[in-house]
This record gives sequence, C-alpha cells and structure tokens, in this order.
Amino acid sequence: MDAALNAVFEILSFGAIIVLVVLGLGIIASMMGIFNFAHGEFVLLGAYTTYLFYSWGLPVWLGMLAAPFVLALIGLVLERLAIRRFYAVPIVAMLGTYALGIIIRETVRMLIGGLYVSIPAPLVASLVIGGVQLPEWRIAILVITALVMAGSYLLLTRTSFGLRMRAALENPALARASGISTDRIYAISFAFGSALAGLAGALVVPIFSLFADLGLRFLIQGFLAVMLGGVGTFVGPVAGAGIIGVLSAALPWAISPVLADVLVFVIAIVIVKFRPGGLISRGRV
Amino acid sequence: MGDKPRDLSPAAAPSRRRFLQSTAWTAGAVATGVGSWVIPAPWANAAAPPIKVGIATDLTGAIGYAGNADANVARMLVKDINAAGGVIGRPLELYIEDTASNESVAVPNVQKLIQRDHVDVVLGGITSSMRNAIKDTIVKRGKTLYIYPQLYEGKECESYIYCTGPTPAQQCDEFIPWLIKNGGKRFAFPSANYIWPHVLNAYARKVVEASGGEVVFEEYYPLDQIDYSATVSKIMNEKIDVVFNTVIPPGVGPFFKQLYEAGFSKRGGRLSCVYYDENTLNINEPYEIEGLASCLDYFRAVDKTDPVSARIQAEYEKEFPGKILLAAGSAATGMYRGIKLWAAAVTEAKSVKREEVAAALDHAKISEAPGGPAEMVPGHRHCKMRMYIAVAKGGNYEIEWKSEGLLDPKEC
Repeated sequence: MDAALNAVFEILSFGAIIVLVVLGLGIIASMMGIFNFAHGEFVLLGAYTTYLFYSWGLPVWLGMLAAPFVLALIGLVLERLAIRRFYAVPIVAMLGTYALGIIIRETVRMLIGGLYVSIPAPLVASLVIGGVQLPEWRIAILVITALVMAGSYLLLTRTSFGLRMRAALENPALARASGISTDRIYAISFAFGSALAGLAGALVVPIFSLFADLGLRFLIQGFLAVMLGGVGTFVGPVAGAGIIGVLSAALPWAISPVLADVLVFVIAIVIVKFRPGGLISRGRV
Repeated sequence: MGDKPRDLSPAAAPSRRRFLQSTAWTAGAVATGVGSWVIPAPWANAAAPPIKVGIATDLTGAIGYAGNADANVARMLVKDINAAGGVIGRPLELYIEDTASNESVAVPNVQKLIQRDHVDVVLGGITSSMRNAIKDTIVKRGKTLYIYPQLYEGKECESYIYCTGPTPAQQCDEFIPWLIKNGGKRFAFPSANYIWPHVLNAYARKVVEASGGEVVFEEYYPLDQIDYSATVSKIMNEKIDVVFNTVIPPGVGPFFKQLYEAGFSKRGGRLSCVYYDENTLNINEPYEIEGLASCLDYFRAVDKTDPVSARIQAEYEKEFPGKILLAAGSAATGMYRGIKLWAAAVTEAKSVKREEVAAALDHAKISEAPGGPAEMVPGHRHCKMRMYIAVAKGGNYEIEWKSEGLLDPKEC
C-alpha cells in the first residue's frame, strides 16, 4: 500500500513538472503558431534568475516570484526585436529561436562556469503519510501547477483578453478588422508564455540543480507533448504533457529504464499515427 | 570557362558577391582556427627550437569546467618548466585545441594539432568516447605520442597511448572492502548507460563478490534521465546498504536528492561514487550527500598532510583564481602527472622522437604531483599512484584512508 502510494505520488509529481514546463510552450505554439525552440532556455533563465537572487543572499522564494516577471520582460523584448519577424515563416522561426536558445544556453554556461549549482528548496521537510515520505516541495509544485493550469484556462476562456487572444489566433485578419491589435496580442501572448517558462524553471531548479543544459532535457519532452496533444488548443498540449510526464515516470517502475525511455516515444508515435491531429485537434480552447 | 557569358543579372551579382564574401570569411576562420590557442615559447633559437606540446581538451560544452582545468594545469606547468630552463635545453611551446565536448568537432581540431602544428606529444581527452574518437588521428595516422589523463574503465592497451589517471583496480580494490566495512554487504549499481559504468561495474562486481558482498541490482539509465523515483524505491525496498553510483550529471543531482528524501542516509545507507571530487560537491546541498564516499588520487583535504600537494594547489589558485578547480575528477591531476612524466621521459631520452620518448616514458617516474609521487609500470603504459578514500562532511571532504605506497593500475 505504502509502495503504491509512493509510486503514485512520484509519478504525479514528475507529470506535474512536465505539464508546468509545457504550458508556456503549448500556449506559444497554439496561440501563435510558433515553435519556440528557445523555450528550454527560457526555463533555464527562470532557474538562473532564482539562482541570482539566492547568490545575492535573498530568499529563494523571492527569486521564484521574480522569475516569471523577469522572463515576461525578456520575452517581450525578444518578441519586439526578433520573434515578430518570424510569424509568417514558421521554419525560420524554428531556426531563429533555436539560435536564440544556443546564445542563452552558452551565456549561462559561461556565467556559472559550466558547473552544477545546487539551490535549496524553500520547503525542505517531508510529510509522512503512513510510512511514505512526501517531500513538501514536490507537493507545492503539484499544487502550483494545478493553480497555474486553472488560471491560464480561465484567462483564455473567461476573460475578454482571452477572447481577443483566441480571435487573433483563429482569424487574424478579421480580428484586426474588428479593432483588435493582433500585434499587441501576440507580444503579450509571447511574454505570457515566457513567464510560464520562467516560473517552471524557478520551481524545478531546487530539484534538478542549475546547469546550462537544464532546458534541453525538457525541450524534447515538451515537443513530444505538444505533438501528442495537438497544436491549436490550450488543453491539447497540457493533456499531452500529462501523458508524457506520467509515462516517463511510470514506465521505469515496470521495465528497464533504457527501454522505457524509447517506449515513451514509441507510444507517442503510435498515438499520433491514429490521431494525426493530436489528442485534441479541435476545440474552443 | 572563358567562353561562358557572364551572368550580370541584378539577382545573380549580389548573391555571388555575398557567396564570395562568406567563403572568404569561412576560409579565414578555418585557416586561423576557431578555438585554437598558441602560447609561444618565451625564447628559442636555431640551436634550441621549441618543443611543441599539444593539448586537446573540452574547453567548451557540457564538460568545459573540466577541460579548462586541464588546460590551466598545462599552462601552469609549461610556464614553470620554461622558467626552469625548458626540457633538454629547449623551451616548450603550448598548442591548445578545443574538443568542445563533441567528438565530431574534436577530430578536425586534433588533426590541426597533428598536421598543421606538428606537435611532439598530445595530452587530453576526458571522456572515453573522446579518447576513442581522437586516438587514431594522433597515434596511428599522426604517429605521435598520446597521453590520456582521466580516470577511466581501463583496457586501453594500444602502443603509444599512456594513461595517467586511476583505473578500476586503483579505485575499487581497496575502496569496496572499505565500503563493506563502513556501509554493509548489499550493493546497488545504479549507472548511466555508456561504456565507463558498464566496464567499471563488471570489475567492481568481482571485487564486491570476492570481498563477501553481494550486488543486489545493477541497472542502467539513459544519460539524460532526471527522475529516479523507481530506482530509489527499489533501493529502499531491497534494503540496500551501499549505493555504488555511476549515474552522471545531470541525473546524479536529482538522484541523490531523491535518495536523501526517501531517507536512505537516515537509515544508515552509504552513498559512494568514484568520480566525485570538489567540483561535483556543489551539485547537491551538503546535507543531501553527507557521508558520500569517493576514492581518487587527490582531494583538497590531502593538502593538510602533504606539503607538495598544498604547494601545487596554492600555485594553481594564485594563477587561476575562480571557479575552475584543480580537482581529480576532471583529469587535472592526471594532466599534471602526464606532462611531468613526459618531460622526465624527454629529459632521459634527450630527444623528442616518438620511439625514444616512448621507451623512456615506459618507466618514467616523478616524485612530486598532486596527491603524491607517480611512476609508469614498465610495459603496461599505465601509472602507479597513491589513492585516497574521502568522505563528504558538511560540504567538504575528509580523508578516511590513504594507500601505503603507490597502487598498481593492473592494466594491460
């Protein structure tokens, strides 16, 4: 019983981390049609921001709070300078953001001397439920992920900004004709996606420690999740991320980890074979 | 060619110009070499032309922190040797090439060392895959001596390749009985899925079994796996006493953290990892790896009792203050031994010709290096050295054991 509870908790907790990372990627991919290959590095920058606060002697949670705002700002600047030129050319967008990713990654590598830096979690204790240790920080990540997911969903479905965002996605010409500044909407969407990446990086860095390739690991799983879930909706990539995260954490309990790593991809490809548009290819959000 | 009409259409002209420009730029970059550094000899003349020492190491990329330490050690030693009059009356000239933690970048760069710079010896390579990628270019086609400085899985027995880092025998023969005594008999071998862990584990398993222990499970993970909940649960359920870890970064940080959170160390479990040095201490919070045991040829803590190590470390820190540490796990100590042993061999051979230096290097000895003296085992192209067992306490290592004399590498 204890072992099962432990397994379920660990699997859910890793699933939540992947969902958190993919949220921003999914929003940018779905709402703007841009595959942001620098997303992993935005996650890294979120982690780096937290590290900066920590190294200045400020509390870690303050860095985590600041990270999404710092990343929103960076996202906004990058969108104005570079990303906006890519909307019409998705292939160039991939290459451009990939280049951006390399620049960010290598800069951070230089700044931290290519080393691994440990950052303590704001909560270090564990809850003990019937002999099973549940680290509080992982519980916090589960809760924050759920809140952010719900918040993003409500923003897109229940607010007028969400409505304009979806309008700009579905029919940019008509949206512009109706007086919506798609230009501004795109900039804000990109900043919002970047902020989510920053938050993800800030929250997971105590678990994985800070290193320059932190984002790379998530990028592949992130894109797999978006492919699996389907582009064009908010719910799709999130569902995809849930499946990929849970699969990657659950399979090693049952089979050899090296095989599990491959099997995650095989399962994802088989699903996409039967649902080429992704799990959720049509929908309002 | 001459009878072809020239295409002067507006579209063609600029693009051709641009093509020429970019070709010229690329050619320039290739000729001077991106990622090449030459530190010229401070003096040289016709009677004493410089001896060219080639360093091929990972200055950039994932293990750049280690490669930069290796290059720093080479800079420091070459400077010292030149200040003392060089080797056989000739100054040393240092040629450093970046292998960029990437084998496909490395091979052409190493070719530059051999074909363009005609170096007399190459030292470097950190991972086994890097050594395998560059060794033919150096030894077979390049007909040059190659010194490999990193701790590794052993079995590199080709002629003209000399290994100056610790081997499995040096890292396991004393360490594993110590772990059984200071941890327990039930071992787990969680490992990254590449050559070093596979070969090292095969050796370690024999030592565990010969010492009365038991390997409860040996499991391999993808190199970038970062969630180890299934492994941790197995370790806890199987009542493992000693985790003999060969999972590497980035996975090792989260793995040790999850082990700590599951209460492995609280229960009295012993964590061990034979590549853990001062660089890797920072991957986790000190309390997460309290009690971790490692076995290497040098730790900073050795400085307290060994004035030679302390002097070398102090000189390094004075010359290269900052985050790039002189530590054993990044091959920096092997690099130190490699350059010193090679210089001793050249001095004895009074020549830089490969055959003659190789013959002298075969039995070269040095009395001073980080961690203690070192000597090549004649006919085996591996290095005897002193080994230490250290345990992490409050974010630093404390030496728990030191070998009586120099341990035999037992290779080839």
